[in-house]
Amino acid sequence: MESVNEIKEALSARSRTATLDELRSEGRKRVRLIRAEHVAQMISEAVHAAIEHSGLLDQEEVDRLVEKSRQEFKSILREREQELARSRETEEALEAREGELTELKSRFGELTRALASTRAELQQVQSELEVARELPAPVAPPPAPAAAPSSDMLMALVQEMANLKANLMQAQAPQAAPAPGADFSAAIEKLAGSLNDRLETLGKKMGVSAAVGGDAPTDFGSLFDAGESKLESNMDNIQVKQKAGGGIAANLARLKKLKGGG
Amino acid sequence: MTEQDQFDSNIDQGADTTVALGKGLDVGTANLAAAVQNDEGGITVNVERNAFLDIPSDAYSKNMLTKLKVPYVVHNGKLVVIGEAAFELANVFGRETRRPMADGLVSPNEQDALPMMKMIIQKILGEPQVPGENCYFCVPAPSLDVDNNVVYHQGLFESLIGKLGYTARAINEAHAVVFSELADNDFTGIGLSFGGGMANACITYKSIPCLSFSVARGGDWIDKNVANVLGCPRSKATAIKERGIDIRDPKSREEEAVAIYYRSLINYVLSNIKSRFESGQNMPSFKEPIDIACAGGTSMIGGFIEVFREEFAKIDFPIPVGRIFRSEEALTAVAKGCLVAAAIGES
Ligand SMILES: Nc1ncnc2c1ncn2[C@@H]1O[C@H](COP(=O)(O)OP(=O)(O)O)[C@@H](O)[C@H]1O
Ligand SMILES: [Mg+2]
Repeated sequence: MESVNEIKEALSARSRTATLDELRSEGRKRVRLIRAEHVAQMISEAVHAAIEHSGLLDQEEVDRLVEKSRQEFKSILREREQELARSRETEEALEAREGELTELKSRFGELTRALASTRAELQQVQSELEVARELPAPVAPPPAPAAAPSSDMLMALVQEMANLKANLMQAQAPQAAPAPGADFSAAIEKLAGSLNDRLETLGKKMGVSAAVGGDAPTDFGSLFDAGESKLESNMDNIQVKQKAGGGIAANLARLKKLKGGG
Repeated sequence: MTEQDQFDSNIDQGADTTVALGKGLDVGTANLAAAVQNDEGGITVNVERNAFLDIPSDAYSKNMLTKLKVPYVVHNGKLVVIGEAAFELANVFGRETRRPMADGLVSPNEQDALPMMKMIIQKILGEPQVPGENCYFCVPAPSLDVDNNVVYHQGLFESLIGKLGYTARAINEAHAVVFSELADNDFTGIGLSFGGGMANACITYKSIPCLSFSVARGGDWIDKNVANVLGCPRSKATAIKERGIDIRDPKSREEEAVAIYYRSLINYVLSNIKSRFESGQNMPSFKEPIDIACAGGTSMIGGFIEVFREEFAKIDFPIPVGRIFRSEEALTAVAKGCLVAAAIGES
């Protein structure tokens, strides 16, 4: 009886308990299992053989001891079986989570691609915008009143793009716990759509502003007035740095010739 | 001497004034410059740095500044030192100057510096000789690399100059370089202005611009990058750059850094002209080689034109080019070009 306990102790001293999660994290995919019955049988055989050879105990005593050990091993076996069942459940749960992860990964891939194409679209639109802004002739004074809406629109556009980006980033972030049924691509499409609308409006505005002449220039004058009637200053008594700049007679003569068609 | 005759007749048109009409104003990130005609038939350019520094206001300081011939304005209870002196004082106080403009345009976070800018402009332009006299001022072309609002900037200065009694007209900065430097070429060629905040380019055919653009790189960009690699303040980088070095022959690690960024700036501008010219529509085909005129404070460094020619030789430029030169008055060429435009507008 004591020897059986000793065997149990020896077994547990020479073995370790590890959960399946731990084993997995160690990179183990498989473990060798041995059934407790086999251990019991091996022990029983070993005990029989040893006792037979020693001639210390009579047969009855031996059988009784063996039976007792058998009972003991049976109870251990039940324990082990219960443990095994529990680990199977854990394993199944793990597999299910792995499946979810794969699905999430592929969705993340989709999202990344969608983001890239949205980005490309943005860039395209931006460069078109740049071209559009370069259209007015450099010498003709551009219409001042039209300036305000187009610069506002530009600001709005930039804001919009920033929002779009922020939204996409947010959509990507909580991949560990996705809201069930959350359709990110739809959200991206919606955002891209509103961006396109914005750009169309902007294009129209700029087109219109380029066509309409600026008869009434906006008065920025107040920006230059400090509020006080006249600023106190010593500037009237101070001479600024002067440089001689040659003459412009030759330049004017040439220009006049050009203008006169000569 | 037909040229002289024509110039004289231009003067005669100035009714009861002895000086021909029209003024030119270079509104630059680093310098404000006004070109005016003088009674000897030549021109004078008044220059002031576009920078400020506020210091605590008291009677002693005001007296002192006036004695030292340092211009100031009192604004919001502070003594605001103006122009070149602001730089010197900033060094003494270990501070940075305030700059109302950045990258060629009024800077949105220096709006309350506008009244000071108005005072400088008023000072350098002087009173109009007749009400509504023409004043051409330069504006940068739309930028390739930053999102700038030229229209707002232009509207602002149209208002300001109008308030001073002039008829304000905007002209592209590099176009002004063409007016100033390419008369002998019938105003056909490429004008380049390398300023503090930007570099501007304009290609013209018989004075008509067919391509113009700007990049937000200039002297400030060089200063910033040199300061970065050397780990020193920007003002130090500016000082190294302006102390008369030759970028063909850098004498120290610091000068080396300046030379590297100069080369990079020149190459950047040239490759942009090339690619813009190649992708542009309705470009004139130049059969004869055209000249390239460079101006602006940044072009004043020793070896500029030589390095420019070296970089030019490296890229396969799409149009035949003859002479590449720097304006004899690099710092005032833009103002002079504005004046030419204004004077011809008056005749
Ligand atoms: N001698 C010089 N060598 C190199 N750079 C110079 C020199 N003088 C001025 N600069 C630079 O030229 C720039 C100012 O040129 P400017 O044409 O007045 O500019 P902006 O048109 O922007 O006002 C500044 O970056 C200044 O450091
Ligand atoms: Mg300039």
